[in-house]
Amino acid sequence: MSSACDCPPTPETYQARDFKSDLKPIWCPGCGDYGVVTAIYRALAAIKRPPHEIAFISGIGCSSRIPGYTTAYGFNTVHGRALPIAQGIKMANPDLLVLAAGGDGDGFSIGGGHVPHAIRRNLNITYIVMDNQIYGLTKGQLSPTTPRGTKTSSSAYGSMENPMNPLLFVLACGAGFVAQGVPADMDGLAKMIEAAIRYPGFAFVNIQSPCVTFGSADTQMKVQKASMKKLEAEGHDTSNRLRAMELAQDYGKTLYTGIFYRNPEPPPTYDSLIQKLQADMAPKATA
Amino acid sequence: MLNNLIIGMAGSGGDGIVSAGESLIGASAREGYYAILTKSFGSQIRGGESSCRLRVSNDPVLNPGGALTAAIVLNWEDFLRFGGELPVTEKTVVIYELKTGVAPDAIPLGGIKPAIVRAVPMEEMAVKAAGTLQAKNNVVLGLVAGWFGLARQSILEGIRKKFGKKGEAVLAGNERAYALGLEYADNNPIGPEWRLAPPKAGGARILTDGNTQCGAAALFAGCKFFGGYPITPATEIMEYLQREIWKHGGSILQAEDEIAGIGAAVGASFAGRKSMTATSGPGLSLKCELLGLASVAELPLVCVNVQRGGPSTGLPTKREQADLFAAAFSAHGDTVRPVLAPIGVEDAFAVTVEAFNIAEQYQTPVVVLTDQEIAQRKEIIAPVDTSKLRLIERLRPSEEDLKDYSRFRFTESGVSPISHPGMKGGNYLAAGIEHDVYGAPTSSGEMHTRMNDKRLNKLNPLKQRRDLFVVTGDPEAELGVISWGSVAGVALEAVNAARAEGIRVKLLVPKLLYPVAEEIYSDFFRTLKRCVVVEQSHQGQLHRVIRMWVNVPPDFTALAKSGANPIAPEEVLERLRAMNLNPSTAS
Repeated sequence: MSSACDCPPTPETYQARDFKSDLKPIWCPGCGDYGVVTAIYRALAAIKRPPHEIAFISGIGCSSRIPGYTTAYGFNTVHGRALPIAQGIKMANPDLLVLAAGGDGDGFSIGGGHVPHAIRRNLNITYIVMDNQIYGLTKGQLSPTTPRGTKTSSSAYGSMENPMNPLLFVLACGAGFVAQGVPADMDGLAKMIEAAIRYPGFAFVNIQSPCVTFGSADTQMKVQKASMKKLEAEGHDTSNRLRAMELAQDYGKTLYTGIFYRNPEPPPTYDSLIQKLQADMAPKATA
Repeated sequence: MLNNLIIGMAGSGGDGIVSAGESLIGASAREGYYAILTKSFGSQIRGGESSCRLRVSNDPVLNPGGALTAAIVLNWEDFLRFGGELPVTEKTVVIYELKTGVAPDAIPLGGIKPAIVRAVPMEEMAVKAAGTLQAKNNVVLGLVAGWFGLARQSILEGIRKKFGKKGEAVLAGNERAYALGLEYADNNPIGPEWRLAPPKAGGARILTDGNTQCGAAALFAGCKFFGGYPITPATEIMEYLQREIWKHGGSILQAEDEIAGIGAAVGASFAGRKSMTATSGPGLSLKCELLGLASVAELPLVCVNVQRGGPSTGLPTKREQADLFAAAFSAHGDTVRPVLAPIGVEDAFAVTVEAFNIAEQYQTPVVVLTDQEIAQRKEIIAPVDTSKLRLIERLRPSEEDLKDYSRFRFTESGVSPISHPGMKGGNYLAAGIEHDVYGAPTSSGEMHTRMNDKRLNKLNPLKQRRDLFVVTGDPEAELGVISWGSVAGVALEAVNAARAEGIRVKLLVPKLLYPVAEEIYSDFFRTLKRCVVVEQSHQGQLHRVIRMWVNVPPDFTALAKSGANPIAPEEVLERLRAMNLNPSTAS
């Protein structure tokens, strides 16, 4: 029992610690992912769904260990396939709260083919990418978001390819909710994840989560804190998709945090359409 | 009179040859016959050569048969492209288009002298009757009905149903074409010995195919989710379920690729639902990593693999049985994954249901290996008697289990109760990474060994499942045959014929291909000196898999052919005669 009294927690009394498991994270001291998981605990406490009604699905990588550090049903699957598996879970049981998570390599390299389809299908799932511009678990290779020219263990003379822009990519695919956060701003991150979960449809949160061991100096927490620009403070209108795309073009140059885009008129989700079709097609009870 | 009629027809795409075959099998079903219709094409969508073969009988039909009773040739070029798929012998009636200009004594069949050869002005009759060449296939139907005594009235009813909506003029033209064909046959008789015996009285019949039976069986078994991707020749399973699964409270995903298809199915199983995916060879290759995940996370899952010629794109529209190695061995790590194979369209239902049972009972992925022929041939069968089929559900945790739930608890059977999201107290971490009893990741060699023991040993009872093996013939015979999948029906017919000739022989047909049931094979081999494995792959894959696990008889050979090359009952019988007389002649 983790609540203050001896009684089991109820949705009304949920606190962040009710979503924290006993497993000790494998992450390096100072890793951004500690902040991410803490923000997720807080967001879930605010959402107030019991842990057994939450399915948290990940791929493979340092960040993909995250489901195990929560009290939800977790599934640490294979590299790049968190989204297909998460969608199957949501389709099989639309009542569940389904979260998917992974790193930039997991989501945009090996699993990149699934992202556009998850977006256009639009199940009510929240997808959290911990973007550190590096492969950490395999000790520091080039990732799809590594800036051009970066020297890594697999690009000894500097990367010769352009990084992709996850924010612009998901906006172009038609995502209804797109945000970017940093663990340096814990309050902002927790609220953003909560808003993503509350959005009725596929929601994407890109988190600039620094790798303390292999990440470059200019991506670390202190630098983030000094350079981040809150979209809210800039007066950004989150219903303006074109403006969101304009701002997203600065990915890798300006560290905007907050909600880039939230569709003010969310279309029906795939899971709601499934339920409608099932109801329409169900054999009619005979009088 | 004939008790068994095999008609082979070939022409250009657009000649309506396949449509004529479908009319004939539909009419045969209405009359109460049993039949199998197989179609063969080049792999283009329109145009090119197309053919079909129809085998009609009074008794349940085991396979599409060998040599043709009747060959119908709309043009020789297209007919000859099918080679051994449409074999003509001295016992065949050859009917061909007069306009081809070939003299009856000069037909291009490599010196074979068929029993009867008739050049018929089919095109001319079509144009006369309906003013269009498109009516040619109805002339063919008339000829077949007239000469072979097949379903005269039912064919006419079929034509009325098919053309009734297209206006009176079109219907009248096609009816006239059919009548002209009949009249031609009646005026130019070939003899009563070519007429098919009337159907025996019997119950209801259904006309179906293997892919439909797989889909229907999944719904009967309680499948609530299907994830897949279009691939020949498996797509019809997805198409069937896409129409039907919603009525059963389930859902289906046509995914962006094969991996996402099985990924979603793995997810649905984790969420507590029976789930399925279906594919063919190239798709199976893509799904392997996720099959491994289902093995290690101990999640039930059925994967139907409709075999076609391979590797790679191979012969996508033809039968082969060369995915056994891939089905059994393509997982990395120490994994055993059950592999089942039905022997025909009717059997596809029961075997698919059993695949769900095994998946649920042992919390494992199961591969069902059908093949292009079973999947896509049309067959008349008796309705499936589902009262004999049982259904098994996965073991759920009790309230006691949920007080301190450990998902991967070691048990005597190796099967641990499985919870799913939504079940309070059952929260756990599923993972591809090795784990302890609670699901917590581990890199301990000791724990890895214990978990491998658990995951592998839990499947051992399968090897005692004698109900998944058909054994028939002379129990004390020294000569044996093993065969599987759609070829098993060919082997069975050959064994029956051999026994009728006095050859002492027995047959084993495994429907469980993997894990290899050592004891069941050893029992079968006990009396054998010579044994042949009949199968449709170049290497003879089952022949080799058995040798990995079981001590085989001294003379243990394979009659194995690459895909698309028909294996006829006569050919198997020849081999049995040779092995019976002189074992050394068997190669």
